[in-house]
This record gives sequence, structure tokens and C-alpha cells, in this order.
Amino acid sequence: MKTSTFFSGLVLLALSACSQSPDINNDTMLDGDIIFDPSLYQPELYLVSAAIATPSTVQKNTPVVIAVHGYSATTYEWDEFRTYADAKGDLLVSQVLLGGHGRTYEEFKKSTWEDWQEPILTEYNALRAKGYTNINFAGSSTACPLVLDLIQKGIIGDNGMKHLFLVDPIVVSSDKTLTLIGLVGPMLGYLETTNTPTEEGHWYRFRPQETLQQLLKVIDLSRKELQKGFKLPVDTQVKVYKSIQDPTADAVSAVLIYKGLKNSDGTNIGMEMIDSKLHVAIRLNGRDNVTQLDRDNQLHIFDDMHALLTQ
Amino acid sequence: MKKIIDLSFLFLLFAFSVQAQSSSNDEGMLGTLKGGVRIQKAQKLYWENGFALDYANPKILDSRIHFGASYATSRLGSALGSNAIKQDNYLLSAAYHFRHQKALQPFARLNLGYFHADYEEAVFDVLPNSAFLTSIDAGLYYEFKIPLTICLSAGYNLNAGTGIAGPGTLFPVFYQMSVFYTIF
Repeated sequence: MKTSTFFSGLVLLALSACSQSPDINNDTMLDGDIIFDPSLYQPELYLVSAAIATPSTVQKNTPVVIAVHGYSATTYEWDEFRTYADAKGDLLVSQVLLGGHGRTYEEFKKSTWEDWQEPILTEYNALRAKGYTNINFAGSSTACPLVLDLIQKGIIGDNGMKHLFLVDPIVVSSDKTLTLIGLVGPMLGYLETTNTPTEEGHWYRFRPQETLQQLLKVIDLSRKELQKGFKLPVDTQVKVYKSIQDPTADAVSAVLIYKGLKNSDGTNIGMEMIDSKLHVAIRLNGRDNVTQLDRDNQLHIFDDMHALLTQ
Repeated sequence: MKKIIDLSFLFLLFAFSVQAQSSSNDEGMLGTLKGGVRIQKAQKLYWENGFALDYANPKILDSRIHFGASYATSRLGSALGSNAIKQDNYLLSAAYHFRHQKALQPFARLNLGYFHADYEEAVFDVLPNSAFLTSIDAGLYYEFKIPLTICLSAGYNLNAGTGIAGPGTLFPVFYQMSVFYTIF
């Protein structure tokens, strides 16, 4: 989730009567009815379950990473990791598109967080059914509370996943006025964000207030689940990578995960604070003003994930 | 927890003793001091409970201005027996009361203070965990005929955490209830 400022939305409301329908440019925006996420056309290029009809024994034992993007994004968010993994040659990557995402504004608008979560479980079950033995998860931002909910409910159970990599997980939004979306959202209709030209085709520019309410719902649920506390399944490890100055997912989200989520034996999970001002530090393509530190951080996270996956 | 119970007991003892001593004093000189409990809920976050004092003096704008001090903490709220972050709010406040001679008094208040959150682990030392507090709130203050007062308000923290600066669990909107016992 890249934040426009919600406050700007409030000001906008004060200044003018807000239109309930955004002005979508179909030719350039993901929000329109021409540009869709490519995984919808060619799932075999994104999903391991679709790419390999009958996996060999070697493939079944190769680490498979289910890589999942965040709120309002698409599979594009994990493209650089796929490129990295392909170069390494010893990982399989399954890029999952969240439900309701990568389609039209209207389809996004009517989706719920449970819809967003569903394709993660579908791919996980498909991989299990095909006999993969080394299934892993890598999620950014909103993908993290979605998978944590599956863990907390026991839907992903013992010996189901080996590693969970949580990149800039969101449990608390940086923009605290999101907590008021239930009150002001219906008056605003939607919020507009700023995308770079590259991002325009991969992220929604307009965020329906209904989906912001769903976002608040799932992160609030995650916060409460963590507040009660729960353990990982047996044989599952977690590593969290969190930008210290994240303008979208407040870094305190890492504190809440660390306190609330424990290994199956009660020990602490893996945690690394990253010296970064980016939200989702593993995605650099399409951003303006990428620094060498950003590149170093991205490579460090990929290398660390790779080392853990192949140890 | 035991320390907090002990402190509460000492506070009540102090309150009763001051009330007993003040009966012979000039009420107008001393003004009115009330002490009690505060219950606070941040919108979409924690319950933070604690203690509050409220003081007004007829010599200061005819008791239209009330001064307050409070301490509210998640240690006595959401963090009791859970993984919620332990955080403390220390506030000094000044409130303007409308209809100040009536039992029901609407008020508006400015609060200044300090916030601290305990992240417990060294790995989180890089994150901001304290801030000066500036908040405003408004609500209703009702004085019963017995020496009890109830105060309800809703407020807004002007310096909530942004992800770039400020503690992440300092949220903007909060609701409060205070129940005061009139000490003198």
C-alpha cells in the first residue's frame, strides 16, 4: 500500500463535494478495463502449480516460494525476486495475485479481505496436492496479515511450510487516520494516490473506500490475534524484514509480530530491522530516486532468504 | 501490579486524609480538588487506564478553568495478560468549563505531556518510542450531589506516529471517562 495522505482526502472532502466515481484512464491505469495483471492471462508463467503439470522428484523437493504482494499492488511486486531466483536456479517461485486485485476498479471495490486471501490458500493446496515437500511463503505488506491469519486459524498447520518471509508487514498503518475510514470513507468514495508511470499499470491509482475498510479490518484482526498470541506450526520458521522508516506500514508492526508470534517451541522468531525509508524494500523497479543503499538492502534480503531456503 | 495496587491505596489514603483536614479550612482559598480513575480507549487500539486529578479555584476565572494531571497506561488495560505494548501517558491539562455553576458542564481541554512505549527488545531500539504529547479533547462533566463527578470526552492527538516519526502506537483519536471523588 503506498499512501496518499488520507488527510489530503479529508481536506478534499472539506473543499468540494467528492465524486463517487474516479476518472480512470483505461489506456494507462490498472484501474481500467484494458490493463490486467499478466498472471490472469498466463498463469503458467507465474504459478508453479500451473507451470508444472507433473513435477519430478527433484522438483518436488526444490524449495518453492509462494510470493504474494500487498494491498492495491500486483504480482509485479515480486518480479525482481523471480529474476533473482531464476539466476540462482535452485528455487521455484509462485507469484500469487491476491483476489480482487489486478483487475478493474469495480472488481477491486467489491472484494473483501477474505477474497484477497483465497488465492494464497488455493496455490498452497495445489502445491501440496502435487507433492511438493518444501513449500515456503514470502509476503509483502498486506500479504503478511493474510498469511498470519491462515497460520493462526491452523489452516496452514504442522509441517506445512518451512519458511515465512515477511517483508514490511503491516499490522499498524503509518497513516493513523486510516482508523477513521469507517466514518469518513462513505463520504469520500475513494482515495487517489500518486504512481510513477511504471507503477500506473501495476498498482491501483484509486482506492475505493470499501477496500480501505477491508484493509483496516484485516490489520485490526491481525493485531488482535497477535495481542492474544499464537505459535507457528512445527517445522516452520519466520524471518521478518522491516524498514525502519516505512511511510506505509508503521515499523511498530514488527514489534507487534515479534511479541505475538512465537516459534512452536516458544522461542523468538527471526527479526531484522532494515535501514530503509521504502515500503516493501525488495521492490525497486518503477520507483523514482532509488539509492545504492536501497539496492544493497534488496540484495541483502534476497541473499538472506536464499541462504535460509537452501541451508 | 502489586506496586500499582499499593500506590492506589496510598493515593486513596492521602485523599481521605486531606479531605478530613480541609473541613476546617476556607473552601474558597483551597478551591476544589478531585481525584479518581481514568479509563481511556484509543480508536482501533488499546485500553489505557490510570489515575487523574482535577483542580479548580474560584479565584481563577470563577472556576471556569480546571487544571488536571493524569497518568494512563496500557499496563492497567490492554497489556494486562496480553502481548499489547506497554505504554504510558503522562498529561497536564487545562480545561475551560461552560455553565460552570451547573451540574452538567460542557468543556474543552488542552493537554500537554509525555508518551513512552516499551518495545522491550534491543532490536527495536532504532524505533522512536517516546514523544511529547499535545492533544485536545472536549466533552461533558457532571457533578453529582454526592462528592462524585463523571467526565466523558473525545479527543485528538495532534502528534500521532507517522511511520517516519513518532511512536507507532500513538494513535490520533481517543475516548476518555474519568470518575472523580471530591477530596476537598
